[in-house]
Amino acid sequence: METLLLAESTAESLKGVINALCEPAPFFIISCIALIVFLVGYRTFTRPAVALTIGAAFTLFYIISAFDPNFAAIIKKPDNVPITIMMFSVGFCTWVAFRQAAINDERMERGEPLIEAGSDDKVLVWPDLVYTELIALTLCTAVLIVWAILLRAPLEQPADPSVAPNPAKAPWYFLGLQELLVYFDPWIAGVLLPGLIIVGLIALPYIDRNPRGNGYYTFKERPFVISTFMFGWVILWVVLIVFGTFLRGPNWNFFGPYEFWDLHRLAALLNVNVADIFWVRWMGRGLPDDWMLRELPGVFLMGGYFFILPVLLAFTVLRKIYRQVGLIRYAIAVMLLLWMALVPIKMLARWTLDMHYFLAVTEYFFNI
Amino acid sequence: MATKELVTKVWIEEGCIVCDACETTAPTVFEVLEDTCIVRPAALEAEFTKPLTQDIIDAAEECPVDVIKFETAPFEVAEEVVAAADAAEASAGADAPEAPAQKPAAAAKPAHAAKAAASGAAKDQAKTAATAKAPAPPASEEIGDPAMQALLRAARSRGGNAAIARRAGGVSSPLDSKDPDELPPDARFAKTLDAAKKSKEALTRREVMSSSAAAMGLGWGLFATTSVGSVVAFQRFMMPNALEEPDPRVRVGPVSKYMEMAPGEVNEDFKPRGIWMIRTEDRIAALNIICTHLGCIPNWLANDRKFLCPCHGSGYYYTGINFQGPTPRPLERFRLSVVDGIVVVDKSKKFQYELGQWANPESFIAV
Repeated sequence: METLLLAESTAESLKGVINALCEPAPFFIISCIALIVFLVGYRTFTRPAVALTIGAAFTLFYIISAFDPNFAAIIKKPDNVPITIMMFSVGFCTWVAFRQAAINDERMERGEPLIEAGSDDKVLVWPDLVYTELIALTLCTAVLIVWAILLRAPLEQPADPSVAPNPAKAPWYFLGLQELLVYFDPWIAGVLLPGLIIVGLIALPYIDRNPRGNGYYTFKERPFVISTFMFGWVILWVVLIVFGTFLRGPNWNFFGPYEFWDLHRLAALLNVNVADIFWVRWMGRGLPDDWMLRELPGVFLMGGYFFILPVLLAFTVLRKIYRQVGLIRYAIAVMLLLWMALVPIKMLARWTLDMHYFLAVTEYFFNI
Repeated sequence: MATKELVTKVWIEEGCIVCDACETTAPTVFEVLEDTCIVRPAALEAEFTKPLTQDIIDAAEECPVDVIKFETAPFEVAEEVVAAADAAEASAGADAPEAPAQKPAAAAKPAHAAKAAASGAAKDQAKTAATAKAPAPPASEEIGDPAMQALLRAARSRGGNAAIARRAGGVSSPLDSKDPDELPPDARFAKTLDAAKKSKEALTRREVMSSSAAAMGLGWGLFATTSVGSVVAFQRFMMPNALEEPDPRVRVGPVSKYMEMAPGEVNEDFKPRGIWMIRTEDRIAALNIICTHLGCIPNWLANDRKFLCPCHGSGYYYTGINFQGPTPRPLERFRLSVVDGIVVVDKSKKFQYELGQWANPESFIAV
C-alpha cells in the first residue's frame, strides 16, 4: 500500500515536471536542442541498436502516458489518431534518410563506392508502377474503410454562427499554420508565410544549384541546407502540430499534456507592442498620436532585420554562400531564411516578452 | 496483260532512328520497337508484300535515314486494271485544285518519276525499281486480281483518290526538289512531316467540305446554346426574387434594463443575434461578437472579466479593447438608439476604436 502510494506520488511529480517542461518556451528550446544534438551525432543516433532503443523508449513513454486520463482523452480523440501515426512515421523516415546518409558519409571517408553506386532503379510504368499503384490503392481503400467503421466521425451539433467550439482546432495537418496565426497578423500567418513556404520550396532548385547530394544520401556534404530544412520541417511544422494537438486547450491556452483542460483556468496575459515598450516603458510618456512617429521603433527594428542584417550576414557568417551563389540568389535565399527565422523569434518573444507586434500599423492592417 | 513491278522482299538495314514514320505509313509491314524497327514476320512473305507495294515504297521514301530496302519483280496484271487506274487517276487529279483540269495519266507518270528521282531515291537498285513503278491505281470494283484489289484498298484507306491525285498531279513541297542527303538531318524530318501533313490536309478538307460541316455546325450550336443557358442560369441564381436577410435593426429591450446593469457588466442575451450589450462607467454600448482577428466568436469569461477567442486566443476587455493574443484591433461597436424607451441596435453601422469612431454619439447611450 505504501509503495503504491509512493509510486503514485512519484508518477504525479514526474507528470508535474513534464507539464512544466511542456510550457511553450522550454518545450520549443528542448526540441531545438534535441534536433541539434541529433544532427551533430547523427552517425551514433542512427545506428540500428541506438535508434531502436530511442524508438522503444518513446513508445514506452507514450503507452505509459496513455494511462493518464487527460493524455488519453487527447490521443483517443478520432481527430488525433493521425498525430500518433505521424509522430512514429516522421521518426522512422528521418531515421531511414539519416541512416543512409551516415553509411554513405563513412564510405566516402574510406573511399568506397556509395550505396547508390551502380544501382539502376529505373522501372517500367507497365507493369511495375501500375501494379504498385493498384496495390496501394486497394490497401488504402481497405484501411480507410476499416478506420471509418472503427472510429466514428467526430460530428458535433448543428452549426451555430454565434457559437464557436472551444477550443476550435483546425484539421491536424493545419495545426502548425493555426499556431502561426497566434503570433502573426492574419495576412502574414495565413497568406504570406504559407505562400513563402510553397514558393520557397519551388524556388529551391534554382537557388541551390550545388550538385552535391543529388541522387544519393549524404549529410556531411550538405550540413547547412539539410539542417535548415530539418529545422523548418521538424521544428516549425511537426513540433507546431504537436503544440496544437497536445498543448493547446480551451480558450487556446497552453496546457501540459497531463493537465486537465479547465475551461475557467486563469491565464493572465498582457501583450505589448514594441511601440508600447519604447515610448511608455523607456521614454516614460504616452504613445504619440501620429502612427508614423509611434511605429518608428518598429520600423527601425524590422528595417534593420530585413535590409541591414542581410548585408551584414553577406560579409560575415554567410560570406561563403554569398560568394558561391551571387547577389540575386543570395538576396532571395536570405529573405526566405529571415522570414523563416522570424517565426521562432516572434514565438519566443511572445512567450518571454509578451510581444504583440514588432510593427503595428493597425490603421492600415499592416502588422508584423 | 501488262506487267507491274511488285515488292517481293523487304528488309531494314542498320541505322534506324526509331522515328515511327514507316509504321504510320505501313503498319502491317513495319513494327517500331524501342531501339529499332523490324519487318513483321508475316511481311517476310512475297504474297503479303505484293499488294502492299505502294505502302512499302512510300515508307522507304519517307524514311529519313533511308534504311528500308526492298526488291521488286515484274508481275502480270490485267490490262483493263491499269487502264481503269490511269483513267481514275486522271479524274482524281482534276479534283485537286492545283492540278490541271484534264491532265493525262501519261504526263502524270513522268512527273512522279522525275520527282522521285530528284528526291535522291534513285541511289540504289531497289529505289530505281521503285521510281519505275506507277503509283497505286484507284478503285474499280470489277478488278479481278486480288493483289491489285488489296493495293487499291490500302491506297483508299490512306487518303483515297485525293492522295493518289496529289502524287500524280505533282503537288510538290520545296523540300522535295532537294537531295535529302544534302539536307541537314532536321530538314529530312521536315520532309517526313511535310508528307504526313499533306496527306492529312487532303483528308480533312474533303471531310470538312462535305459531311462534317453539318456535324461541326451542330456541335458549335449546342455549345453556344449551353453557354448562353448557363450564363442566364448563373444570373438567375445570383439575383433571386427574394433575399432572406434579417432586419439589421434589433430591438434589444427597454433602456431601463441596461441602465440597471453595473459598470463592467456584459449582457449576453442577444449573442445569438450577434450583439453583446455592455455597460461602462458612463455609457451603454453594443459590441459586435465577431473577433477582429479572423472572425471566430469569442466567449465571455465572467471570472477573468474578458472575452477570449477559442480559435487563436485573442483576448478583449469587457469594453472590447484588445489586450492579448494576435488580434490587432478592438471589437467593433454597433450604432444604437432609443425608440420609445426601447433600445434599437442597428447592425448595419459599425464604429471602430482605432479610427476614433467610438466618440461618435451614435455609438453609445449616455448614462
